[in-house]
Amino acid sequence: MRDVIIIGAGGGGPVVAKELAAQGLDVLVLEAGPRHAKPREQWTSFENDANNPLSGYFRLGPTDRSEPAWFREWSQNSFVWQLSGVGGTTQHFYGNYPRAYPGVFNDYDKADRNEYDVNHRFPFSYAEMVPYFEWVEATAPVMTAAMGTKEAVFFRGCETLGLPVQTTKTTLAPSYRPQENAILQPGGNAGRTSDRNLLNYPDATGCTFCGYCFQGCMRPVGAPRNQFAKRSTDNSYVPMALTADVWAPAGRPVDLLTDAYVTRIHTERRAGALTATGVTWRDNASGEERREDAKVVVMAGGCTENPRLWFNSGLPNPNDWVGRGYTDHFFDWVIGSFDEYTGNPKGVGSSARLDFPPYGGLENVGLPPALNAFSTTLSDSGIRGQYGNGRGPTGPWDGPAGRVMGPELKELVAGGLDRLLSVLVITDDDVEPDNRVVTSALPADENGPIPKVTFQHRARTARTTRNREFMARKAAELLRGAGAKKVFRIDWAPLILHVQSSMRMGESERDSVLDSGAEARAVRGLFIADNSALANSLGGPNPTLTTQALATRTAEKIFERYFGGDPWVRGGSPVVSTDPRISARLGELGL
Amino acid sequence: MSNSTAAVGRRAFLARLGLLGAAVGVGGLLPRSALAPPAAAAQNDVLPGLVDLLRPVLAELARDTLNGLSVFALPGPDPYSAAQGTPSDTPGAMEAGTTDFLIDALDNFVPFPDQLAKPIGAALATGLADTGIELPGTELLPAELGTLDKALRALLESDATLPLSFPIAGMLNLLATQVNPLAVNGAFLSPFARLSYAEKARAFQLLEGPDSDLVALLDVRFPEPLKNSVSGLLKFVGGALIEFASFGSYTEYAVFDARNKQLTARPVGWELTGYQPDGPVEGWDEFIGYYQGRTEVRD
Ligand SMILES: Cc1cc2nc3c(=O)[nH]c(=O)nc-3n(C[C@H](O)[C@H](O)[C@H](O)COP(=O)(O)OP(=O)(O)OC[C@H]3O[C@@H](n4cnc5c(N)ncnc54)[C@H](O)[C@@H]3O)c2cc1C
Ligand code: SF4
Repeated sequence: MRDVIIIGAGGGGPVVAKELAAQGLDVLVLEAGPRHAKPREQWTSFENDANNPLSGYFRLGPTDRSEPAWFREWSQNSFVWQLSGVGGTTQHFYGNYPRAYPGVFNDYDKADRNEYDVNHRFPFSYAEMVPYFEWVEATAPVMTAAMGTKEAVFFRGCETLGLPVQTTKTTLAPSYRPQENAILQPGGNAGRTSDRNLLNYPDATGCTFCGYCFQGCMRPVGAPRNQFAKRSTDNSYVPMALTADVWAPAGRPVDLLTDAYVTRIHTERRAGALTATGVTWRDNASGEERREDAKVVVMAGGCTENPRLWFNSGLPNPNDWVGRGYTDHFFDWVIGSFDEYTGNPKGVGSSARLDFPPYGGLENVGLPPALNAFSTTLSDSGIRGQYGNGRGPTGPWDGPAGRVMGPELKELVAGGLDRLLSVLVITDDDVEPDNRVVTSALPADENGPIPKVTFQHRARTARTTRNREFMARKAAELLRGAGAKKVFRIDWAPLILHVQSSMRMGESERDSVLDSGAEARAVRGLFIADNSALANSLGGPNPTLTTQALATRTAEKIFERYFGGDPWVRGGSPVVSTDPRISARLGELGL
Repeated sequence: MSNSTAAVGRRAFLARLGLLGAAVGVGGLLPRSALAPPAAAAQNDVLPGLVDLLRPVLAELARDTLNGLSVFALPGPDPYSAAQGTPSDTPGAMEAGTTDFLIDALDNFVPFPDQLAKPIGAALATGLADTGIELPGTELLPAELGTLDKALRALLESDATLPLSFPIAGMLNLLATQVNPLAVNGAFLSPFARLSYAEKARAFQLLEGPDSDLVALLDVRFPEPLKNSVSGLLKFVGGALIEFASFGSYTEYAVFDARNKQLTARPVGWELTGYQPDGPVEGWDEFIGYYQGRTEVRD
């Protein structure tokens, strides 16, 4: 009998694990995927080896790469980019940690208050969230991004748009700035040389500008795991959870099992209320099933897997909102071609952003060749110059939107990747009931019926569509302002990687799965602590900081509601995840 | 439908799949004798042998079709790119090993449930006979059709896993002959590989479109709620084939030594894009400071 069992070691789960481990609870973390404990042996920095969604080391599948990945159904041209393994999808993220816009919380009263997704606000105030933002920002830690050429080019474009520079953590109005990101700033030789002999830790600390964020951060060479530049949870929260005894006075390290796929959450009626009692999981390699009980169960399997596990466990769904309201920032991609060096794809994947509440935002993105090709060919608008698939919008970009592929792509990259700059268009999209996860009619896999993700991407709300068009135009204007000679809009098919709100918390019990403490309304002792718990799409900011802040708050709720404890965030001071005590202990553990 | 119309339908269909041409057309891969209609009594003995002969034919047909797809994603100095009307002096997908990349992925790694692959394969083999498209030159194809047809069915109905590259190739070839019925004959094994770039685009337009005939036809073979899934999946496949072929073309796939986790040569995609001119790095001298000198912010 554990105190707490946490399902999933991705962006959210390890936060609850670390916080409750610091309080001395007995915590078991079950992760369906692999543990990359020796990245120098397990990883490369090559795109197919890393990012092939079928066979790469970053995929959704078991540790054994000769086994197939886990098949998920989506019934439209789209791609849901989620990873299994310790660190989850943060293993290949960019570490951007902007705060959610204040306009998505329920106390917001500025003039533009009605222009957000007003029917799906957070059920508490921005002010209440701030201490949790600050706690995570200090733990990760979050810093102001260092600049390379691709940032300088992006800022040059921003400077032509008549917007101010944001110099606060909170986004108050349309503005641009370097990212606040969970990347350690370059120190020593890092960022200052390409000579690999000079880039060993501690001669180099923090980000070396290698440009391999998407393939996993294992730099600088020789650094302890918790000192790698990028603060994916495998480098930040998981090391803390595993070493809680050395940095927290009453801490107790968590147990972490990998290749452990949770297939069922168990419940029973207690004092008239349906109550979570434990879980069953399946070992990927042996197929063996195991069961453990716990006082509290925390779901953190991600936006697609949580609804699946809920359905497969036969849990109640009284208002039919389990799996509904999935938001994805309805991304788009705009790419500029320059006559000059742009610094793409060196340095962190994205270190500059433009925020435009209540429409969304923009980020510069650097990509290596194959991911660049993927990005220019993922379109809902056919192939430029050939067919528009019923779309092909025109605007301040060149020609109709659509795939840049084949001969046109070859010509575009012939000038060099480092003459290109891409902008990710991030939409403040509405929670909509028909964008959702259901159980697929396709055959089950070894872990039960599989999830199907449906996005009605051609029938989004008027506000979502307006926001996307608005931000796509801004992206093109920005690139022109920066000096792009040609600008292409791709009109992406749904690329679902900012995932939010499929098990949302909300003010109303009619359209939310969780109460304001992130506990399931229908099952006592069952909490959700990942992106799926978010109330909405945050207005457009990348979700992980807000998820981790919310998960920190949820850890307190768990401790208060089920273990009679007191909250610690307001009165306490967080330990930074790079703390040398953690490094030393990791060394002893052979990690 | 009378027996003779059915036979013409089957013949046209096998021709459209590319199978008839690949098996027994000019430059076909099967000896004619293998397909000689056996005496009725001997038929059951001949068939298994023929099924074994058919497997490599299907594999070659799939490869040829995917060559046509690969160069659609990244043309180069090869005959497929030339046939498509987009010749190029610099290396392309054929040099980047994209066809192998696709076959490897489709046949070994796509976690596509067999329960689904098989009915799709069966649908391709049996369900699309009567599409009403006139195919010039079909009458030139040989008469050993019945045996070939039986062997194909036997193969699809056997318990052996169906390599996914075959139904994918079959689908592309069907679309190809819908776009250009003349593509049923010509150079290469695959009708799809015979198309021009614009015709290939048109084939994808049919696949991606909201009411693709092919999608509708394939659905016939599936009960609800699977029917809906299959039509959605095909739309996904339409996009994924292009995206995956493009991704693969620019990766290190062809020159990656998996055992040593090192490259044996410079990848085509790197050469074309100027990526990492001196190979993999540990870092770059690319740090130019902090915007407006600000190294931290607070509220
Ligand atoms: C390319 C890319 C770049 C990104 N960049 C950013 C960025 O810069 N900033 C940002 O904020 N966000 C970014 N994101 C999004 C970010 O990755 C997610 O917000 C974050 O990972 C979500 O955390 P999560 O816990 O909800 O899900 P995940 O991180 O997906 O974690 C879920 C984990 O649960 C495991 N799991 C699932 N089901 C089970 C089960 N039944 N049993 C056991 N384990 C299970 C999974 O294997 C996985 O490890 C990016 C995403 C992508 C794809
Ligand atoms: S660019 Fe920086 S953060 Fe990204 S992988 Fe390299 S060292 Fe890590």
